[in-house]
Amino acid sequence: MTTGPLTAAESDGIDRRTLLKTVGGSALAVALAGCTELLEDGEDSLADADVPDEPIESGLQTFTEGAPSVLGVQAQYGAETAVRRINENDGIAGREMNLDVVEEGGAYLTNYQQFVDEGKDVTFGPISSSGHAEMVPEIEAQEVINVSTDGTVTTLYEEDFPDVTYSFRFQNHDVMEALAAVMQAVEVLGSDSIDTYAGINPNYAFGQDEMDLFSRGIEALTGAEEVYSGFPDLGTGDMSTHITEVNGEAPDIVFSSCWGGDATLLLEQGHANGMFDAVDLLVGPVLYGSANDLSEDLVDGPIYSGSRNFYWGEPSTDRWSPAADLVSEVEDEYGVVPTAHFMSGYGAVTAWATAAEKAVRLLGRWPEQEELATVLENHGFFTPAGYHTIGVDHQGYSNAHFGELTWSSDHDAAALADVNVFAAKNVSPPPGETSADWIGSW
Amino acid sequence: MSRFLVERDDETRVRLSEGMELTKGQSVLAVLGLAVLFAVPDITRLTSLSFQAVHRGILFGLAAVGLNLLLRHTELVSFGHAAFFGVGAYGAAVLASHFDVSSGLLLLFGGVLASTVTAVLIGYFVAGYLDIYFALLTLAFNQVLYAFVLQSGYFNYSDGLSVRPDGLNPPTLFGLQWSSAGYDLILYYFTVVVLVVSLLAMWKLVNSPFGRALDAIGQDRTRARFVGIPVEKYVWIAFAISGVYGGLAGGLFALLQLHVSPDPTLYAFVSGEILFMAILGGFGTLVGPVVGGVVLVYLLIQAPFYVEYYNALTGLVLIAVVLFLPEGILGSIPKIGTGLARRRRDPGLLREDLTTLGSSLRRGANRAVTTVRIIVFGVN
Repeated sequence: MTTGPLTAAESDGIDRRTLLKTVGGSALAVALAGCTELLEDGEDSLADADVPDEPIESGLQTFTEGAPSVLGVQAQYGAETAVRRINENDGIAGREMNLDVVEEGGAYLTNYQQFVDEGKDVTFGPISSSGHAEMVPEIEAQEVINVSTDGTVTTLYEEDFPDVTYSFRFQNHDVMEALAAVMQAVEVLGSDSIDTYAGINPNYAFGQDEMDLFSRGIEALTGAEEVYSGFPDLGTGDMSTHITEVNGEAPDIVFSSCWGGDATLLLEQGHANGMFDAVDLLVGPVLYGSANDLSEDLVDGPIYSGSRNFYWGEPSTDRWSPAADLVSEVEDEYGVVPTAHFMSGYGAVTAWATAAEKAVRLLGRWPEQEELATVLENHGFFTPAGYHTIGVDHQGYSNAHFGELTWSSDHDAAALADVNVFAAKNVSPPPGETSADWIGSW
Repeated sequence: MSRFLVERDDETRVRLSEGMELTKGQSVLAVLGLAVLFAVPDITRLTSLSFQAVHRGILFGLAAVGLNLLLRHTELVSFGHAAFFGVGAYGAAVLASHFDVSSGLLLLFGGVLASTVTAVLIGYFVAGYLDIYFALLTLAFNQVLYAFVLQSGYFNYSDGLSVRPDGLNPPTLFGLQWSSAGYDLILYYFTVVVLVVSLLAMWKLVNSPFGRALDAIGQDRTRARFVGIPVEKYVWIAFAISGVYGGLAGGLFALLQLHVSPDPTLYAFVSGEILFMAILGGFGTLVGPVVGGVVLVYLLIQAPFYVEYYNALTGLVLIAVVLFLPEGILGSIPKIGTGLARRRRDPGLLREDLTTLGSSLRRGANRAVTTVRIIVFGVN
């Protein structure tokens, strides 16, 4: 298997003509890819299609308050931006889109049920992996499509619900970011220099899933030994005991899937307790999700972070205008730099919207939920982050990013340097194979 | 007079069973209440009301009815009744997830059994305590259970357990596998039957010699002991019975939500909510806690869809109820009815109301300032 990162030319090696051709010249698809300036006259108007006049009603549940809002509000901004772009480009097959946003809290099921009661055409979210797992059977029972923004536990669609119809996920699943972390660590330290590793991960499905996958991956590639694995509660106020354990073992690598306020706390207490002197490297797949929450002193040290399927500086915004346009639009509108969780919201809406328009073209009318679900399987589309597909297994697939956590004085926020881009096929198993089996076969 | 009608206190009353007699007004309200309960699925279909929220509210209300046995009669405040609700829900979830039990009724029975055992055990330790010590002990047991479930892989940590024996479909009800909509409807009507039976049982209980003894315990434990009531034993039994109600509500909640996790079932805040439901609806009445349950749950579930600062909204509503309806929604209805009738006769009273409102707000503000002064400076 190929483990090296893609070159920049491979990751964004698509010219404007090809892009326009790929997205089918549709105003909507092009607009959501962030390339409206490519549009030419003569766009197919879908005028003959039998499409209702009333707006599409959609609902997003995300974390709007508390520590998880570091991620959740970004997803909200992303979904709102996508909806704004849809409406500025005459909607989906002429239908405008409305978006209601509600706090995710612990009310995943009741939120989804309320959205269905209100007659929503589609729902998006949640951020939480445990919430996503809780929702899938309900989504299948209610038969109203939900595209999860995150909720990235690998076992969800591989083992727990391998055959679903209405439930989808936009964001890359855990194995992709855990293995990107493995490969990043090997590239930075070299496989011969990695003998021991430890983990500090949040104590719920996502944290356990990520640690398990990282362990399998790093042991398969380097033969390293796990010396400590701690699971502080999600939203904990203290990680110092775990950090002390790690310092005592002084492993070569610490892996942490902490996010939101937990990521900030880990870096704060890690610095305060000398963790970055005791270990060679900290790799965290979602530390960068807290980009707008981190200060300059916190990103100092051998810290590498993933950024799921989107990092605004990769490919360089000098060369990739959709990403550059998005960054300036988001900074103007919301005063933040967009992170991967922005793309979670943006991409989930875009996946559904482009599939809906594709379905209208195919059918000549607005699709039923089941028809739209069929179109979403194996659906490919562009966003400012590049090309994405929704697999037949209902998971999202796109490039995974990883780089050194640093500081951008231009944006006055945390940034990534020397970003590596890992193609989906290099960090996730082929369809039909589980991640554990696939990693075991390396 | 027929078997079902009796004359008492110069009034014709409807006799449901031995000692259970309703006035004409109460009978009309009971029939109306039952009619509304049975019509909820139709009402919610024709309006924008949420069927799920009402159903969930009734279940929490049922737990509050159990708690009210302690609150109203023994005058003990429990801060830990989510323990029984949670154990009832987890009892059903464990049977479905780990033992593949597919019968909904068996799952419910398992939940009730687990909560009963838990209530008997906890009741044994707390029955001898009073006031704040009783409240804190119940809270402590609640927290122990919450922390245990949260840290336990068997209960799947904070992610919780599914109540879908085959992973995707709900359990069977009455031996049949229902469609999603059918399941919700059948479960709702089953809940209504359970609620009515539970209310009747509670009515009988509080009007029995045992209920009178609990009243005596609530009024004065020492005197109750002097007249020969085994106080600790009776409180223990009352505690266990109230745990059964909590377990019943929790088990049905598991069947409704089809997923049980620690925060919505076992967290101490849930205990506070159940306590508040009883107070909100009127803890001096039998049905008040159910009304409080529906209102509070509806507010908690629906407010986020309409108001950004929904926690503040629920807080404000609760403050308003405490200040202006201290006897709760149902408990205040007779007083409100009399007051409105008087103001219809004499509109001048409205001016007095405004004066009273102004002075009570002033008094409240003064009290708050005094309290803050005491907290900050240690003296008034």
